[in-house]
Amino acid sequence: MRPELDPVSVTDLATRGPLPPPARWRGGGALSAWVDQHFKWLMVAPAVLLILALSIYPLLFSLWVNFVNYDFEIPGHDFVGLQNFRQIVNDPLAWSSLITTIFLSLAVVAIEFLLGLGLALAMVRMFRGRGIILSILIIPLFISPVIVGQSWALFLQRPFGPADYLLSQLLGHPVNISWVGEVPWVYIAIVIADVWQWTPFMFVVLLAGLAAIPAHLYEAAELDGISGLRVLFYVTLPQLAPIIFLAVTFRLLDAVKLFDVIFMLTGGGPGTATYTTSFYLYQIGFQQFHLSTATAGSWLFLILLSVVIMVLVRRLLRAENA
Amino acid sequence: MAARSATAGPSRWRRRGDLARFAIIGLFILFVIVPLYWVVITSIKPSNDYLTVPPVWFPAEPTIVHYTAALFSYRGLQGLVNSLIIASVSTVLSAILGTMMAYSLARFNTGGQHLAFWVLSQRFLPPVAIILPIFLLFRSWGLYDTRIGLIIAYTFMTLPISVWMMYAYFRQLPRSLEEAALVDGLSRWQTMWMVAVPLAAPGIAAASVFVFIAVWTEFFFALVLTSRHAFTLPTVFRAFLGFQGAQYGEACALATTSLVPSIILGMLVQRHLVRGLTLGALRG
Repeated sequence: MRPELDPVSVTDLATRGPLPPPARWRGGGALSAWVDQHFKWLMVAPAVLLILALSIYPLLFSLWVNFVNYDFEIPGHDFVGLQNFRQIVNDPLAWSSLITTIFLSLAVVAIEFLLGLGLALAMVRMFRGRGIILSILIIPLFISPVIVGQSWALFLQRPFGPADYLLSQLLGHPVNISWVGEVPWVYIAIVIADVWQWTPFMFVVLLAGLAAIPAHLYEAAELDGISGLRVLFYVTLPQLAPIIFLAVTFRLLDAVKLFDVIFMLTGGGPGTATYTTSFYLYQIGFQQFHLSTATAGSWLFLILLSVVIMVLVRRLLRAENA
Repeated sequence: MAARSATAGPSRWRRRGDLARFAIIGLFILFVIVPLYWVVITSIKPSNDYLTVPPVWFPAEPTIVHYTAALFSYRGLQGLVNSLIIASVSTVLSAILGTMMAYSLARFNTGGQHLAFWVLSQRFLPPVAIILPIFLLFRSWGLYDTRIGLIIAYTFMTLPISVWMMYAYFRQLPRSLEEAALVDGLSRWQTMWMVAVPLAAPGIAAASVFVFIAVWTEFFFALVLTSRHAFTLPTVFRAFLGFQGAQYGEACALATTSLVPSIILGMLVQRHLVRGLTLGALRG
């Protein structure tokens, strides 16, 4: 039933080299011989070509767009040098949206990590009904972020959304919060929606990490008379560290793309308070049609991110080969 | 004495710990379920139940008018059909291309680590960094607002998922059968399709489900690359921005229509979830 758990034979792991050449005792034409000879490259070619066409080519194309005036409102593509970059760097909104992005993504990832860790610690031991609870907890992962944004917009709506009502019942006095219309609440609303959707990610990954910690470490800790929080800090967390790194970086790289929830829940508002970088670049490129400025902005954003991406991907590769 | 207090301590601590555990779990379950419940229940509420205090937690007269309105008046049906076609075709393409590439990476170490690294890094590329040029290219190639265009974009977008999940999977499969097949005279192509792929079928199926869900729930590419013809289900929600027309029921009916299939699919691949979320880096 679980073929991925089939024991991998020792010789398999020992011989990591390429497969032997085929014997081809039935002959076959020149074509099939050629295919066999270049097989490994032929197999990667379609995927590589697709990525080249939709990722590398656009990036190179946009490199050119960076330095010309590619604007739907102004005809011609004059060479303008660094003007597009200057426009972005001199736009206060570019900076404030970058700061909002950093602030929001750090906030959501920190909260998701703490909640996810708490949940994973709570769920790691077996109990009755654990399977069903696990299934419920992961539901948000399979929902479109657009729907998450829209559902929270509905839930937090004033004055008829249930959130304010539930809060006033809980607190015993009327609560009337303008969740998407006022500055600190609007940030809290975004954080809630994101935490709702992505805490399960942290939870699931950390739970897998917790389950993989060998039991003898805990037994040893018990023999040494260590208990409670000190087990957490001296055994669990150090053992979990690589997984925590993986989960946090994964989430962080997705969190900085924050767009869908902003689009549905706040529309960047009130004013421009909840503009994130993705939302800002979308507005400039597709609402104001300053394509060159937006492209310059995306390049700067990409350069900022690529450092983090490199570190994470190298680390993932090392985990693969361990 | 010492021994007794040592046993009494942890057990009391454990009982209090259990209470805390179940409180955390219970509260989070509520946090997950209540908004979902609200969406589903609003989708069957008659319109005059929307704006009541206290809120109506279950309508006295459930109705399905919002579903018909969402599907027909707001073109939800067209979005649904587009989403189904686009997600299915891109899933098949992504699975085929991904399996081929993953097999080559796993069995021949093609391109060394750099190629694998490069594919993986695409997963973290912010869409906003490449969407503008893709938009311009799609316009000049006649792919803008076509299903084919979106299928190509999504096949590309999901390649890191399918390649990396299958890469991790193939590396676990024993290679002795393939070696035997090659010695027996099968070509490499035949060995791959007739020996390796059937063995990897459960992994391919799981990876495909993750790809399907990723496409089904995607918003940004669809928002930018389509307008009136090839729009997908998630983009239909633009019609309800800000709820100016108080179309709560329609919005929720559409949301329910979209989330039910992906949740069911998600449950089917639950035990592959960790692998899917971390692109095969963790086994779970």
